[in-house]
Amino acid sequence: MDHSSPVIYLFDVPWLAVNLSNILMITVACIIVFLVSFFMSRTVRMYPTGAQNALEYLIQFIKNIISNVMDWKEGKHFVMLGITIILYVFVANMLGVPFELVREPGHEVWWKSPTSDPILTISLALMVILLTHYYGLKLKGAKEYGKDYFRPIWFLFPFKIIEDFSNTLTLGMRLFGNVYAKEVLMGMLVGLRSFGFFAAAGAILPLVVWQGFSVFIGSLQAFIFCMLTMVYMSHKVNEEH
Amino acid sequence: MEALAVAIVASFAALSAAIGVAIVVRSTLQGITRQPELRGPLQTVMFIGIPLVEALPILAIVIAFLLL
Repeated sequence: MDHSSPVIYLFDVPWLAVNLSNILMITVACIIVFLVSFFMSRTVRMYPTGAQNALEYLIQFIKNIISNVMDWKEGKHFVMLGITIILYVFVANMLGVPFELVREPGHEVWWKSPTSDPILTISLALMVILLTHYYGLKLKGAKEYGKDYFRPIWFLFPFKIIEDFSNTLTLGMRLFGNVYAKEVLMGMLVGLRSFGFFAAAGAILPLVVWQGFSVFIGSLQAFIFCMLTMVYMSHKVNEEH
Repeated sequence: MEALAVAIVASFAALSAAIGVAIVVRSTLQGITRQPELRGPLQTVMFIGIPLVEALPILAIVIAFLLL
C-alpha cells in the first residue's frame, strides 16, 4: 500500500511544492470548526440549554487548563486561542478516522487527517511558539523579556535558545507521529483485503478496535497540544518574583 | 540495511518512551493514592511531564522516518 500525495509545483518552481490534499483537508477542518462554533453560539440565553451547555463546558475546560499554569491576569488573553487550537486539532485528528479517500491511478490520498503531514503540524507549532514570543514582548516589555533568557543564572542562556527550537520540533512532531502512526496502521489493516477473504474478515475486528483507539488518541493529542501551548505561553508571560 | 537501522531506532525509542512514561505515571498514581484531594494538580503536572519525557523518543522516531 504505497500511498502518494497529489503534489503540484506552483509556477513550475521546484521549491514551491503544494500538497493539494493538505489544502483540501485544512479547508474542510476550518469550515467544520467554524460551522460548529457558529451554530452552537447563535441562541445565547441566560439559562443555557443543549448546544450552549456544551460550548460553555468547553470554555470552562480551557479556563481550567489556563488557570492551572498561569495567573488569570495574563491568562484571560488566551481563552480564545485555546478554544481555537483544541477544536481545530480535534477536528483535524477525527477527519481521518472513519475512512480515507484514495484516487486510484497512482494511489493519491485525498481525504485523510491533515495532521498526518509534518508540514502542517510543524507550522502549527511554529505559529504557537512565535505567538508566545509576541505575547512575552507585549505583556512584559522588551527589557523583562530579554532578561528572562538569563534567569535564574546567566549560563543557562544557550539552553534557553535550544529549548525554543526543541519545543517547536517536539510540539509538532508529537502530533504528527501519533496521527501518522494511526493512518499507517489503518492503511495496513485495510490493505489486508488483497490477501483474500479470510484475511479481510480477520482484519475487521482489529480495525474497529484501532479506530476506537484513534478517537481516544486524537482527543488526547488535541488536549496535550492545547495544554503545552499554555505551558510554553506561561514560561514567556508569567512574572516570577 | 536502512530498514534494520530504522527497526533498531524505532524499537529503542518505543522502549525508552514506555519506561519513562511508566515511571511518571507510577509516581503520579502513588501521589494520588497518598493524597486523593490533590488529584487535579497532580494530573496537570503529569500531563506536562509526559511530553517532556517523550521529547527524545519522538526525535528518535523523526530520525527513523528520515532514514526510511
